Amino acid sequence: MSHKIAIIGAGPAGCYVAQSLVKASPDAEITIIERLPTPYGLIRYGVAADHQGTKGVSRQFSRLFERQGVNFIGNLEVGKDISLEELQNCMDAVVIATGLYADREIDVQGNDLKNIYGAGEISRFWNAHPDSELFQPSLGKTVAVFGNGNVAMDIIRLLAKPESGFEGSDFNPSHVNDQVSKIHVIGRSPLEHAKFDPVLIHELKDIEGLNCSLAQGDFLASSQDNPTAVALAELLESQDQSGSKEVVFHSGWQVEAFCGGKGCVNSVLVRNSGSNDVKTIECDSVITAIGFEDSGTLDRDMILSEAEGAEDGIISQGTFMTGWFKRGPSGTIPENRTDSQKVAKSIISWLESTVSDKPGKAAILEQFGHRITSYEDWLAIDRIETRFGGEKRCRQKISSWKTMMAAIEQQRNAV
Amino acid sequence: MKIGLLYGTETGNAELLCDDIEEALGSGFECDIADLGDTDHADLDPSKFYIIVTSTYGNGDLPTTAAPFYDTLAEQKPDLSGIRFAIFGLGDMVFDETYNQGSERLAKLLVECGAQMVGERGLHDASSGEPPEDLALPWARSIVSLLSVEAA
Repeated sequence: MSHKIAIIGAGPAGCYVAQSLVKASPDAEITIIERLPTPYGLIRYGVAADHQGTKGVSRQFSRLFERQGVNFIGNLEVGKDISLEELQNCMDAVVIATGLYADREIDVQGNDLKNIYGAGEISRFWNAHPDSELFQPSLGKTVAVFGNGNVAMDIIRLLAKPESGFEGSDFNPSHVNDQVSKIHVIGRSPLEHAKFDPVLIHELKDIEGLNCSLAQGDFLASSQDNPTAVALAELLESQDQSGSKEVVFHSGWQVEAFCGGKGCVNSVLVRNSGSNDVKTIECDSVITAIGFEDSGTLDRDMILSEAEGAEDGIISQGTFMTGWFKRGPSGTIPENRTDSQKVAKSIISWLESTVSDKPGKAAILEQFGHRITSYEDWLAIDRIETRFGGEKRCRQKISSWKTMMAAIEQQRNAV
Repeated sequence: MKIGLLYGTETGNAELLCDDIEEALGSGFECDIADLGDTDHADLDPSKFYIIVTSTYGNGDLPTTAAPFYDTLAEQKPDLSGIRFAIFGLGDMVFDETYNQGSERLAKLLVECGAQMVGERGLHDASSGEPPEDLALPWARSIVSLLSVEAA
């Protein structure tokens, strides 16, 4: 009997591990189980809407389902709708690839004030994630962004871009941040040590009507062999004085407290890591982009602490992990591809030592067939969204879970 | 004719495109596919024709795994006369300053080492929304037809 493999999570980590497994073990029955009705996770809901080229990696993954015989089961959450143990009983191997969902918070006084948001939360909203259906951020005119990595850079760019910058994207026109006029970018380390990719800094430079400057008294240590510092220096020199929007970089400042009135944040108190000076930055809202942590239905801390071979993605006999769930919140899509290839080897060597006696996806379909979504359902959603994109957008996403399920139902009945 | 398909990739797109090109060229060609990261320039074979597909990564660089191949060429400048290749680049115009520089730099270096480039460098822009195979497959067919004309 062929081996039965379930992968939990249809994001890039899960799809990459499926890709490697299909190649190494073409006879295995591989099923990707996803909490959301649609596949591709971070590609669809995390990668910025104006980076459609990066989202293009989903073309590879669509082949898994269209040509390579991998099964998709959507709208089924492991740990909630079905327990991990139940799933393990159906499968010879289970791979956890659920990523890290929650924003790491800045734990200082005032962090319970309103209008303080996490970058992940905001990204999901801008990407029309069904979890954000009822989320309505109030960003105001001045936003303070904490973080000096590429997640922060995505946030800054999407705050700064005018409507014209979103043509061809799938950014919802009603989310364009025209009202934002000033963006403070605050990083703990000196700016020259920022982890921004130079290409993302160049992208900021190309935004029409955007002035970028350093906060008064701050400086950027120039270094020719540091591409990020070089790109930042170029950005700061290329002033568009006609600009209607402003980005101000604060180099080497750490937040001491969020301050507010009437329950809402109205300023941040920051301390310089070098001079120990303090200053207050006024703002209408805060977005923190300092990393991600687990908030899922599977107990990650316990799973990691008991893992038999965490480095190779081995949790226990027949249970594996990959992607950010395994590695923690670092590394780009390519790094997770390499890692998933390694984890696939662990899985293959486990399967070689076992004889399959598990029912596989048939058992899942029997129990949950009435509620799950299929890959064909996703194709129907994809067609609808693309059709509604109009002239200036490549698609308009359905942001409501209920509407998505209703549309799926309608399409099924139409066939 | 023997064709060596070489890819430099970060996300796997270039590797997949090599699979597609192999399929599109059909049975008239004896193709093998390899990662530039597993390729030693000393093993390049003059009896083969090479089709290279590479993306661009970071600040206009080659993908991480393909970088050692490039760096070794740049350092040793081996004599590659007799080696013939065509190259197709995967890029993204969102990053316009470094658009497709990976394939450009590799092509230039191979020519500097004496290899002969056949045809125009193929280019795909991931932000165009067009599937890369829609450009790459006609490109690959036109390259091999150039070769057939030469052979005749």
